[in-house]
Amino acid sequence: MATELESPPDPGQVPQWELELQQVGLVRRMLRARRWHGTDWWFVAISSVMVAAFLVIAVFPQWFASHDPLEQVGPRLLSPGELPEQEILVVPVDGSIAAISDFELDVRTPVAVAQDTPSSDAARDEADRITDEIAAAGGEGRVRLRIARFETVGEALDSVVAGDAVAAVISSTAFDDLTADFPTLQSSGAVSSAAQDATSFPLGTNQVGQDVLSRLIWGARIAVIIGFSASIASFVVGVPLGLLAGFIGGKTDRALTLIMDSIYAFPGLILAIAIAAVLGPSIFNIIVAIAVLYIPTYYRIVRGQTLQSKEELYVEAARSLGAKSKVILGRYIFPNVIPSVAVIFSVNVADAILTGAGLSFLGLGLPPSTPDWGIDLARGQEFIRSAWWLITFPGLAVMLVVLAFTMMGEGLVEIFNPKLRER
Amino acid sequence: MHPLLIVFLIFGVPAVLGLAWVFLRGSESLRRYILTRIALTVPMVLILISVVFLVLRVMPGDVVSSTLGPKASDATRASITEALGLDDPLIVQYFKFLGDVVTLDLGDSFIGARRPIVDELGERLPATLELIIPAAIFALGSGILFGTYAAIRRKRPADYGFRLYSVIVYSMPIFWLGLLLRLVFSVWLDWTPIAGRIDVVTNTTLDRTTNLLFVDSIISGNWEALKSVLHHMILPALTLGLVLSGVFVRLTRINVIETLQEDYVIAARARGIRERAVTYGYALKNAMIPVVTVIGLQVAILLAGAVLTETVFNWPGMGRYLIQRILLRDFQAVQSTVAVFALFVAMISLAVDVIYSVLDPRVKY
Repeated sequence: MATELESPPDPGQVPQWELELQQVGLVRRMLRARRWHGTDWWFVAISSVMVAAFLVIAVFPQWFASHDPLEQVGPRLLSPGELPEQEILVVPVDGSIAAISDFELDVRTPVAVAQDTPSSDAARDEADRITDEIAAAGGEGRVRLRIARFETVGEALDSVVAGDAVAAVISSTAFDDLTADFPTLQSSGAVSSAAQDATSFPLGTNQVGQDVLSRLIWGARIAVIIGFSASIASFVVGVPLGLLAGFIGGKTDRALTLIMDSIYAFPGLILAIAIAAVLGPSIFNIIVAIAVLYIPTYYRIVRGQTLQSKEELYVEAARSLGAKSKVILGRYIFPNVIPSVAVIFSVNVADAILTGAGLSFLGLGLPPSTPDWGIDLARGQEFIRSAWWLITFPGLAVMLVVLAFTMMGEGLVEIFNPKLRER
Repeated sequence: MHPLLIVFLIFGVPAVLGLAWVFLRGSESLRRYILTRIALTVPMVLILISVVFLVLRVMPGDVVSSTLGPKASDATRASITEALGLDDPLIVQYFKFLGDVVTLDLGDSFIGARRPIVDELGERLPATLELIIPAAIFALGSGILFGTYAAIRRKRPADYGFRLYSVIVYSMPIFWLGLLLRLVFSVWLDWTPIAGRIDVVTNTTLDRTTNLLFVDSIISGNWEALKSVLHHMILPALTLGLVLSGVFVRLTRINVIETLQEDYVIAARARGIRERAVTYGYALKNAMIPVVTVIGLQVAILLAGAVLTETVFNWPGMGRYLIQRILLRDFQAVQSTVAVFALFVAMISLAVDVIYSVLDPRVKY
């Protein structure tokens, strides 16, 4: 010991205090934590990517959603990947015609359709479109159709087989049913070339023809709003209360702790149900209901930490130097409490999203048309027998988001409390 | 006898006897702890009941008009309002409600057949118990089993597998898990009934005494009913149990790993005791102590989960009753149900704390 003190400081060596100083502070600790703990870095990496992706989707849902979440954009209950019904052109297998644009110009080409279907309109629209295109390109000539109406789809197809019509325009589902009966005919795709690349629904549509994927994407925004606002509100109330109770102690502390413990021990969802029911459906009210639940979570952890750091030497030193209570709380105790609160916050956002989804699943808290995951699940469960996709994807979305935030919380624990690591 | 009373006898009497036994056999400090703990339970329940009472009294939506419909005359309106005591000052209503809770005379439901709420809860509480008890047993059993196994196989694939399992299961919205299980096992595979507690037809043959259908069918020897009850119970209990088991896997794993590093375990190993005996005989016992403490907190999650599970499976328990009554604005029933929930939670956490204090004599109060 003595020899160490006597030896002159090595100019090339960084003094110990500077090394220690480098470990102070939230951001520094996070940066240094690159070395944390060998095997688990991927855990944090994956969750951060998931959280980041979720946040981007939630902030800019319009970039990702191809449809309006509140509009009916397709037929009802379309299963994932299934194409909506459309009018197709049916032609002989060995013929040279593949689309209406292949028709001879200025000749009335016979086209067979079934009566009372939108087929003839679709065919005429496409013919007019091609005519306009030709005119716009400076060419001349018109695509002209001679529409022959038949009572059934079968008869329309028969006329194509017989050679009376060059092609038939019928709906895709009708042709699917009859393909086997007409081996010499084939579908050459949608009549309207505009419709061909339009609407497809990767996750299907729901019972009112809304796009499931677009609703999921807009639901992320609701989840973020609820999760973050509720957590921030609990934070803003719970942290100061915890600081005060821990710092002041005595009767205030005991009374507050009793109230907080009562709320903490009670099933949160039931309390939230009561509050949400009282306040009525709106996104603000659901946030209030959830925020009340999580105040005790912050209170308990902050109070515990405050009690601990109150006894620390540096607090005593500050006090003996005449620092006011406000300064001690704000400058000496609060910064030491923050790291553990950051961990709680991440897990708390996950919990709040979960509770919010639960509330809206029960029909409380949000207006029924909102594109929200819980509401979509609740409405989808009526169709459990016919449409599995309605209850599968919104729940999956909730799970992935909760998973991401929980994992990130776990990662943060490891950054801030390396001691726990060996567990 | 009222079903609620019988249910209380089944669960309450052993608990009270156990408490008395601990109290008489325990040390001076343990006794003092138990007394303080009981004394603390009262304000806890009181706070919760008061919060709920206040919250519900500012609820928009007039219960009288929702009961009578818009066409009721002012005279009928006034008489109903008076009969329900709704024109009393808030403080009078509050104390009347407290008195009702203490005497368990919860009044009549506002809506529908106006049955006494105690009778309605007498049907719902057993249903909820019949859901959460199997779920808790499943969660604890599988949690401890998987957790210990993961701890022994630490940092091997099985460990990572169970850790992933616990995180995923914890992140699953319970109602989604319920819907998925229902989709797979009830709709696609048709192995389990889609909803409810018992077959409609079998139900007519069953004599009800406790409303715990499992107990009822055994008492009356109605094996057909027992089969139906168990068949209906599987999916809801599994749903609730799976979500909770994640927490227990994590906890058990952490604690077993920690105790396996304790000196006395190393000493036991050094003496040549077999690894299996060391794990299960030495480490697991002590590792269980922190797990017991957490059970108390899990009861809250269990009950909240029960509300959602009951909604998914149309299980006629307290949770679904609560939701139905909230949507009907029947706040007499709502506040009573929440009061019963509060009593329930308080009892369980009292029991858990007492068990913990007996298990771990190091705890000082």
